[in-house]
Amino acid sequence: MLNHLTANIRIFFEGAYYSYRALFRWLRPATYLASKVFAPLTMMIFFVYIGAYASGSNNASFYVIGNSLIFAASSGIFGVTMSVGGERWSGTLPYLFGSPANRWAMFVGRAVMHILDGMLGVFIGLGWGILLFGLDFSHTDPMALLLAILITTFSTSGLGLLMGCLSLITRNVMLVNNTVYFSLLVFSGANIPVAELPRWMQSISQMLPLTRGVACTRTIINGGSLADVLPLLQVEFLIGVMLTILGYFLFKVFEIQAKKKGTLDIF
Amino acid sequence: MLLAFEIELRQNMTDGFVLFGILIQPLIVAFMALWMLKGKGPDYAIFVVVGSGMTGLWTTLLFNGGNSITGERWTGTLEPLVASPASLRVVIYGKVLANVLQSLLSMIGSYLLISLIFGYPLTLSRPWLFFISLFVSVVSLVSFGLILASFFILIPDFARMVNTLEFPVYILGGFLFPIALLPGWTTPLSYILTPYWAAVALHGAAQGTLGTWQIVGTWGIMLAFSVVYVLASGRLYRVILRKARTDATLDIVGS
Repeated sequence: MLNHLTANIRIFFEGAYYSYRALFRWLRPATYLASKVFAPLTMMIFFVYIGAYASGSNNASFYVIGNSLIFAASSGIFGVTMSVGGERWSGTLPYLFGSPANRWAMFVGRAVMHILDGMLGVFIGLGWGILLFGLDFSHTDPMALLLAILITTFSTSGLGLLMGCLSLITRNVMLVNNTVYFSLLVFSGANIPVAELPRWMQSISQMLPLTRGVACTRTIINGGSLADVLPLLQVEFLIGVMLTILGYFLFKVFEIQAKKKGTLDIF
Repeated sequence: MLLAFEIELRQNMTDGFVLFGILIQPLIVAFMALWMLKGKGPDYAIFVVVGSGMTGLWTTLLFNGGNSITGERWTGTLEPLVASPASLRVVIYGKVLANVLQSLLSMIGSYLLISLIFGYPLTLSRPWLFFISLFVSVVSLVSFGLILASFFILIPDFARMVNTLEFPVYILGGFLFPIALLPGWTTPLSYILTPYWAAVALHGAAQGTLGTWQIVGTWGIMLAFSVVYVLASGRLYRVILRKARTDATLDIVGS
């Protein structure tokens, strides 16, 4: 029993570490920094300036916070998806499914580094917000902010795990990923207040990860307490758990179907 | 060139990432911009159509036009292409032209979304000037694509850094907000980008905010840039081919 547990913990963390390393090892540090620091910054600037053009520069913090949280989705969706789907592209999926390793530890472990990476991305985004747009943290509870970012990154990684499973059964994974990612820009309230969206879009917003995370982070940075946002954060966490379980279920279904039909490596 | 154009067009039709860049992303950007820029005056809807269309144009030019040579390398067809009597530059011109013309669907898609689905009245203030501007923009952007494609080969890290070039040009090109909002030191950077002049001409003609001679001036600038790009590309493509033959790296990805 104890041996099993130790092995699963090892698989969990080794899977987390190696899948992340495999994803980014080929990048040089400058390229990695460019894609992690510079590219998200330019996307943030683009939306902040559209916002400034629309409603004046006083509203910059709304867009800075919203787009900083989008960085969590970037790691959560693209990073996690590629960690899972990359096994197929690199031809390692048969070995993975042929091994006796615990599937839950193997599957969920893929998200761990990307949650940390996503949190780092959010901090970098908020840091750019302070430097370039004077984002004010004087009324912010740092622990509440940290918790909100952690839960939001976790919930978007749950979506990434689900998308990762889809990447095992589709060739157009980047089309699906990019569409989901850009849809989050619309539905999550990062750039448009959810309350201003049509009713049917608001219903979709409420079902997605990130929406509540963005709202909570804005509230906390503007001086709200953890108690103010706790109910929303609980739901955000629950969405993340549900997406992870759904992703794991699909992962198992895919494994069974692929083994039955012999389609593990077929695109 | 026409054959390269046709093959590129056919290949793009089945590429999900291309379809995303041409149709889905610009429509999402158009939707967001439409919502965010509400209340910017009567002409803002046509401003959004042109601006979001320009984002699709640039994204396609950057990722697909830019990959015109490296794409051949990945599929193992670069060697026969170089060995054929046709000029590599002409073939690449045909491929980039296909990408740029196809990306005009971004603008048409945004137009249909905003006009038919959201019901905004859309009129081009100066249609003839707009369509001539569109033609000159295509010429200029395709010429720019020739240079971009060569960078993918000549600068080893360029392909890896390409993601970082998408939004800066959206910003510096003034696609969806005036560059006057940006810090003054960025203005010269905008001026040396042909997408900026394309956006100035198209926005100006669509909204009627520029005089005829001002628009003609932007055509002159874009055509001057085109001449420079085409001349420079001649030199760059000679360097690429000489280097590839000397180092025997024509089919080696990442070299």
